[in-house]
Amino acid sequence: MQGRTPSPGRFVFESPEAEPIGSVLYEEHVRLTSKSRMSPFAGYLMPLWYSSITAEHRAVREGAGLFDCTHMGVLEVSGDAAEPFLNAVATNNVARLKVGRAQYSYILDAAGNVLDDIIIYRRGETDFMVVVNAANEPKIKAYFDGLLAGQVVIDTADPNRKMETPTIRDMRDPASGADCRVDIALQGPASIEVLAGLSDDASFVERLRELKGFGLLNESLQDMDCLICRTGYTGAVIGFELFVHPSDAPRLWSAVLEVGAPLGVLPCGLGARDSLRIEAGLPLYGHELAGSFGISPFEAGYGWAVKLDKDFFIGQAEMARVAQSYDMQVARLALPATKGIRPVRPGDPILIGGVCVGWILSSAKVDETQYALAYIDRDGAQEGNEVGAYYLARSPSQVQQGRQEHLDKGQQAEADLTGTVVGRYEKF
Amino acid sequence: MVVDGLRYTKDHEWVKAEGDVVTMGITDHAQEQLGELVFVELPDAGNEYAARKEMAVVESSKAAGDVYCPVAGTVTEVNDALNTQPELINEDCYKAGWICKIQVADAKALDDLMDAKQYQEYLETL
Repeated sequence: MQGRTPSPGRFVFESPEAEPIGSVLYEEHVRLTSKSRMSPFAGYLMPLWYSSITAEHRAVREGAGLFDCTHMGVLEVSGDAAEPFLNAVATNNVARLKVGRAQYSYILDAAGNVLDDIIIYRRGETDFMVVVNAANEPKIKAYFDGLLAGQVVIDTADPNRKMETPTIRDMRDPASGADCRVDIALQGPASIEVLAGLSDDASFVERLRELKGFGLLNESLQDMDCLICRTGYTGAVIGFELFVHPSDAPRLWSAVLEVGAPLGVLPCGLGARDSLRIEAGLPLYGHELAGSFGISPFEAGYGWAVKLDKDFFIGQAEMARVAQSYDMQVARLALPATKGIRPVRPGDPILIGGVCVGWILSSAKVDETQYALAYIDRDGAQEGNEVGAYYLARSPSQVQQGRQEHLDKGQQAEADLTGTVVGRYEKF
Repeated sequence: MVVDGLRYTKDHEWVKAEGDVVTMGITDHAQEQLGELVFVELPDAGNEYAARKEMAVVESSKAAGDVYCPVAGTVTEVNDALNTQPELINEDCYKAGWICKIQVADAKALDDLMDAKQYQEYLETL
């Protein structure tokens, strides 16, 4: 095997191989669905679906859906150095984040590679909660450890640049302290009514209704201390993430399902999580962000979360270059999905005028439409543009019949399916 | 669910013998694993397949699975209803969700497949 020379400033992390483990809600899941529907995901055994992907997707759009997000990483960054540390590590402007609010952001390495997309919650002037993707949690913890120890390049142009060093704690680990948190998401129009049913405090529902997007409340729900944030990953206008102690998570989970049953609440698995976020146009790390194409925040459609005018953040020089030069972007496409139409798959080429302009990254069927997030030429990504999709060969026999296994940009092919570019995001 | 009187493969196809023509489809376990099916690519009548050769594709919104020919032979008839109603496999995989009929080259090959009891035991090892 040939060795590869890492580019300067690249953070290289090999995730240790480990058997997947159950989340803190594992016992709840196997009560609600069969073990055969539990699938390894980011080191955890997670439910793919309970009832069906379609029913769970619909529940979130019409009632509400409950998601086990306890596998997501939750890190506390605290102390006087917390704000300057996070402002150097994250691309968005943490100095402008008010107490009781949350902010979407990116963590980059010094070469400008995206290590994760995150949400930073500001609980106090010097107290932050950082929620990272489950799949990236070991990498981000190692990166933060490296930063605290001064072992990671933070500025390729200035090797002497130093980081502030706050206190960082894994909030999912009960051994790390009394205040521990795991994430359970409740998403959909019925969410407020469901949560109201978990509290006797008459003013609680008012506070919930007034909570703006990316706002944070600290409440007691049936004696469980709960951080409630109006954030989510489904495109639902009304939706919350609930952060509780891991030992309270099973009780909160069953309480929400019990109160929510008459209001159309269903537990939702990874399948619906994916179809909801694709329909809404939200990126998934490794697919619409980073991944094999090395997709930048600008290409993903989130240049606004990269504040190039800040004094400094890790990866800033590369982001300034990318902001001026990128020529591909993530677009949301709508393709027909009437019965008998073969679904498109990640990797399938997108054609404009019979010429390959990019490839599908993720796709999901919602009723009679397949929504696809695709990485295509910026020139072709205007809303309303007609696009074609080509099915790559899925099997050796299709190759024998002449179907291509790969198309490069600029190669010609005949479209199997025709659709349109739709708005990048959709709210429900 | 496993049905008595059928023969089964380790790839989760079922076979129902009627003389030297067999009807085949995928098992309840297979459809359960795939989830809601949205597309079935059927073989063409007249095609010849060796045993264990891929002959059809079943796709759900999240997964695609190859269907292998359970016994060598020639396809005599396909279930065209699956073109517009792939969900028949989810709803009734052993009857209305059949995939195709095969004129088997050698009926003795059926003896190599599992019976219902053996398949049930095999499922328990997965």
